[in-house]
Amino acid sequence: MYGGGTRALSDVSFEVARGEFLIIIGLSGSGKSTLLRCINRLIEPTSGRVVFAGRDVTAAPPQELREIRRKIGMIFQQFNLVRRASVLTNVLTGRLGYLPPPWALANYFPAPLVDRAMANLERVGIPEKAFVRGDALSGGQQQRVGIARALMQEPELILADEPVASLDPATSHSVLRYVEELNKRDGITVLCCLHFLSLARRYGTRILALKAGQIVFDGRPNDINEARFAEIYGEDAIEVEIR
Amino acid sequence: MAVEEFSPPRRAGRARPTLWYRSWRVHLAVFVAILAYAYGWRVTQIRMAELWRGAYLIRPFIGALASPDVVTREQHVQRGTALFYYGGERPAAAPGGGPSLALSTVTGAIGDRVTAAGEGFAPNRRGVLWWENQVGQRQQLGSFTTDAQGRFSLTFTAPEVQGTHNLVIAEVLIGEGPLRPSQTLLVVLDRMVETVFLALMGTTMGVVFAVPLSFLGAKNLTASLPAGGAIYGLTRTFFNLMRSIEALVLAIIFTVWVGLGPFAGVLALGVHSIASLGKLYSEAIESIDAGPIEAVTATGASALQVVRYAVVPQIVPQFIAFTIYRWDINVRFSTVIGFVGGGGIGFVLQQYINLLQWRQAATALWMIAIVVAALDYTSAVVRERII
Repeated sequence: MYGGGTRALSDVSFEVARGEFLIIIGLSGSGKSTLLRCINRLIEPTSGRVVFAGRDVTAAPPQELREIRRKIGMIFQQFNLVRRASVLTNVLTGRLGYLPPPWALANYFPAPLVDRAMANLERVGIPEKAFVRGDALSGGQQQRVGIARALMQEPELILADEPVASLDPATSHSVLRYVEELNKRDGITVLCCLHFLSLARRYGTRILALKAGQIVFDGRPNDINEARFAEIYGEDAIEVEIR
Repeated sequence: MAVEEFSPPRRAGRARPTLWYRSWRVHLAVFVAILAYAYGWRVTQIRMAELWRGAYLIRPFIGALASPDVVTREQHVQRGTALFYYGGERPAAAPGGGPSLALSTVTGAIGDRVTAAGEGFAPNRRGVLWWENQVGQRQQLGSFTTDAQGRFSLTFTAPEVQGTHNLVIAEVLIGEGPLRPSQTLLVVLDRMVETVFLALMGTTMGVVFAVPLSFLGAKNLTASLPAGGAIYGLTRTFFNLMRSIEALVLAIIFTVWVGLGPFAGVLALGVHSIASLGKLYSEAIESIDAGPIEAVTATGASALQVVRYAVVPQIVPQFIAFTIYRWDINVRFSTVIGFVGGGGIGFVLQQYINLLQWRQAATALWMIAIVVAALDYTSAVVRERII
């Protein structure tokens, strides 16, 4: 799906099948975030091609790129909510790509959309927070708003950039369970960067390991043994369990 | 490996730093500073003695500050009049009614001694005798006190005036009305309102143009545009150039352009505000969190939508704070913009000072001080609430 030669990533080429829960692991700076951002071109790859659902993302002109982005939801390590806006508005921004610009600039969202935003908030379990400001929520709640925002796009693919790295273990599980549910129930393909191998083994259907911008492992979660682990994270690394 | 600090000194001088009063650098710096201040003293013509010598000139003003012209009372006056003609012509009988004033003679020449006798006035009151010439100019002849029967008598010398037909007037103050604002206060108040609104219009003009421009002057937003660097550079250069021209200079230029009056002041403050606010706004935009921009971009939103949903919510409080702050500066500034004909309270203040009307000038100064301080305080409170 992505191939090319850049400084952050080089010679990375892989395909993701519809419905997969692909987890990308690797040390900090190994190129995980760059890889995810190249897929929806938040970072322009200097060379190589990204193909999404038969469309060449890397060659898409601005208008088409926006149409492609609509189908790719993204959630972030720092949640990236607009702090001063209400939770509901934050969720509704997920729909901006579908709206005629004048409506959206006037902060007008049609009633069916608002209903759907509320439904999505209900789905992630925080409907009562709809009118609270984004920065009034806890980390886990903010990430759930991030998921609801991505859901508004009716995405076929969700890119999750270390979605639980800022959260405690219990909250990490609860957030990842929501992502897993989207993957299992709605059939949304998920590409997710994670730090903890234990989480990767628990949620992933496939694991991709990056080291210095190159793929060093691509396979099923259970195939990562100690030798593989040392290869990915370096000789001195000790695996930290998170349950 | 030996650490630098612990290695033995290679040169003796390095081991012990020179004491500061032995260092030639310090001596040179002191010498240069003395030269600079000596020259500065001369070139700015500082003459402390003038402060003493000129003190008497400003003393009335200091006194006036303590008694600004703010209130006045309506005065109830009893008036008696009598005609006095120069050149032999005899006037007709004086108009009757009320207290009466009689002169020892009703015709004469300059320098004649004339006795004025009045009756029917309020008893035991102080009064003033006036001489009013043919064109209504008054001068005081003397003052008197009425006796228990309301009579008085005063002898005066017929003054040297133009014209022949004169009126002698006796006025006795019998009471005062309630306090009411003086004419000066009303004028000053009127101008102060004009001043505040001048600042408001100038600031508004600044905001209207600075907001859109500030987006072009923010590096993080222009970076993704084609020719973004050039747009950023141009906008910032415009801000810096316009900011470097004082609003007072702009006001002079605009008075030539659109004529004297508050409109020139509005334009001057407006243009200066565009530059100042634009720079502040741009810097506020540059300091926002990039995360939400990334998130909203990733949803497929257009550039305009990204600005509306990811940038604007983050900058609104700072924009409001900067705007209030600017308005505050503009109010202070619009008090002097009248000095160059740009309208506002500065115009009347300058007039009062030029005419040595110190009490009126004091009224204007107090008005400026009170209004500016009040706005200062309010804006500080509002800004604190917002941020």
